[in-house]
Amino acid sequence: MINQQPSRRRFLAGLGAAGTAALLSGCVTSGSSGKSSSGGAVTLQSNLSAPQAKAAMEDLVAAYGKKGTGEVSLNTVAAETFRTQLPTYLTSANPPDVYTWYPGSVADAYARKDLLLDLGEVWSSPELRGYSKALSGLCTATSGKKVFVPTTYYWWGMFYRKSNFAKWGVSEPKTWDDFLDLCDKLKSKGVTPIGLGAGGNTAWVASAWFDYLNIRINGARYHRELLAGTHRFDDPEVRRVFDRWQEVLPYFDPDGTAVAFQDASTSMLNGRSAMMLIGTFFADAAPKDALDDIDFFRFPVIDPKVPLAEEAPTDGYFAGARTGRRDEVIDLMRFLGTAEAQEIYIKGSSGTVLPCHPDAKDAGTPLVVKGRKHIEEAAEITQFFNRDSSDALQPTADNALTRFIAEPKSIGSVLTTWQRDAEKIWNV
Amino acid sequence: MAVLTPTKSTSPAPAPPRGKRGRGAARRTPPLVLAFVLIPLLAEALWVFWPALQGFYLALTDWDGVSAPTFVGLDNFREMAGDDTFRSATWHTVLWLVLFGGLSAVLGLATALLLQQERRGIGFYRAALFLPVVFSLVATALVWQAIYQPDGVLNQVLSSVGLDSLRHAWLADQDTALYAVIVPALWRQIGYVMVLYLAGLKGIDPALYEAAKVDGAGPWQRFRHVTLPQLRSVNAVVLSVIVIDSLRSFDVVWSLTRGGPYHSSELLSTYMYSTAFQSLRLGYGSALAVVIFVLAFGVIASYLVRAFREAD
Repeated sequence: MINQQPSRRRFLAGLGAAGTAALLSGCVTSGSSGKSSSGGAVTLQSNLSAPQAKAAMEDLVAAYGKKGTGEVSLNTVAAETFRTQLPTYLTSANPPDVYTWYPGSVADAYARKDLLLDLGEVWSSPELRGYSKALSGLCTATSGKKVFVPTTYYWWGMFYRKSNFAKWGVSEPKTWDDFLDLCDKLKSKGVTPIGLGAGGNTAWVASAWFDYLNIRINGARYHRELLAGTHRFDDPEVRRVFDRWQEVLPYFDPDGTAVAFQDASTSMLNGRSAMMLIGTFFADAAPKDALDDIDFFRFPVIDPKVPLAEEAPTDGYFAGARTGRRDEVIDLMRFLGTAEAQEIYIKGSSGTVLPCHPDAKDAGTPLVVKGRKHIEEAAEITQFFNRDSSDALQPTADNALTRFIAEPKSIGSVLTTWQRDAEKIWNV
Repeated sequence: MAVLTPTKSTSPAPAPPRGKRGRGAARRTPPLVLAFVLIPLLAEALWVFWPALQGFYLALTDWDGVSAPTFVGLDNFREMAGDDTFRSATWHTVLWLVLFGGLSAVLGLATALLLQQERRGIGFYRAALFLPVVFSLVATALVWQAIYQPDGVLNQVLSSVGLDSLRHAWLADQDTALYAVIVPALWRQIGYVMVLYLAGLKGIDPALYEAAKVDGAGPWQRFRHVTLPQLRSVNAVVLSVIVIDSLRSFDVVWSLTRGGPYHSSELLSTYMYSTAFQSLRLGYGSALAVVIFVLAFGVIASYLVRAFREAD
């Protein structure tokens, strides 16, 4: 008993000391201006959790490790968790160093709050000197600082299976009227003309229809201004978008808002639906033998006077301003900007994305060659609804568009509600 | 034993009488006991009370989660008064409370009554009903999502029995989404409530039933005049559990519909999450959290106060 008391006291003293130390360190951490610990591996937070994309990221990290200039610790997080946690990552005292994410307005919103590392040094390095002006502009914040390193991009289009179109005796349309005729023909053959995939957790897919109709009817400039809050969602211009959408709505899959894009693309690949407006990322889940049979056509032109724009979201990386490994991050970013790194990623993934580096080779398949030409022919490039506006505005679009699809006659009230919801976001 | 040893007195003293020694120990709380109380309290204060208080403060601010919060007073609550989505989320939460809470209590009690008697193989049925409680609610939701798919099990069963007209996109239709989401939540909760009632039923003295039988009470009268009054304390626990579970129901709704289509299955909890973490309006989201807290606290406190008053 005599021996027990001191040991218990010692235990309590130890517990108290450990607790105090933990609390103090917590206080210090939360109160500090925040720098992640210096030295050691650079932490790379990735939202690329699809199996092929994740494997490609692991290849990339291994290749960087082999160079011997630094090490990377890859942390793959589910896309939805990543998105909701990103502000916390960037503002936390001990943040991850580098993040997969989007350039343009999304990166600029963080840059305006001084949360992103200045990557000017990376952009002045030989690796990125050959990048196009358009990409350079996309990666520049309002302040003029470079905050993003773009690595790959992909395109959206009306995807279909060549063998199915041949079987049904139909071909690619060019104009809106051709497109409606095609839908009629397909419907008469008992095929669902258009798959959607805005159910489950992928309601955002419906925004592609809004984006494309808006950039075909009102132009890319109006579209960007609308998403920035310069115009209103209940303006007559936006109403025209939905008038056109109503013309094609009867050809949509009635389960379009009940199934996620993965299921909808499986339906398309199996021939239950004929085509889908989607980005090339759907191919990550497509069987390898189906990849050669996949083709796409440009979203039909509605008004030939409106300059041709296409959706081609760019992906890449930015770094937290609070990183404690600035030099190591710069070194990694320079590597990620190289043709070699982008080729490694493309080789490891489904290979349907295009590299940003002008000297990097793409997968070279006919689909990718056609995709590259498709983007090059566009007068303007848009990113996507949430990338041209903000993640915060996306749920307002999801609600408005799924409601429109279910109740097209309520379009007046849909647009009024959308404008009211959007104002709350813009006013934050 | 060392805890009760007086620490100040070092010289040997005559042993005090039993009662006196007990009172002295109660007056002077030993430091070890104090430490066992204060250290967890400190931890609780730091990890629970302080964030909760911060939540109350954030409800009075406009905050995007990145910039510094701006104090706006009661503006968030004023906005709530004119917010249609908040109104429909509140209505859905009340509906959820009545349907999910009410049905889980009634069906939980019914299954407990059915399975209370020890019979051969009864353990299997009890385990089967309790099994859903063991599964993660998100995993449960994924299974139910597959059931509700347009070409899922439910629609296939309807077709196979000639009820094609009832085939439905259950989660994508605003008329059915909320009810479709309640079913998996209920499926899980019934087993939990059943176990609480089973424990309550085991505690009832069989002599009461014997006496009631002797007095000529039928099964319904025995249930009404013996079982129900004896379960009063369990009812308080069940009510607290279902009110709290109803108001914090989030995972199953979020996994299945995310409050959609267009807010038709939105609960206060999902609206709070989407406002705070999707629309990045953390001030307004905190105000919604305060409302949820007040509702939960109000319902439970008023019931408990009434229950205790009746007991007195």
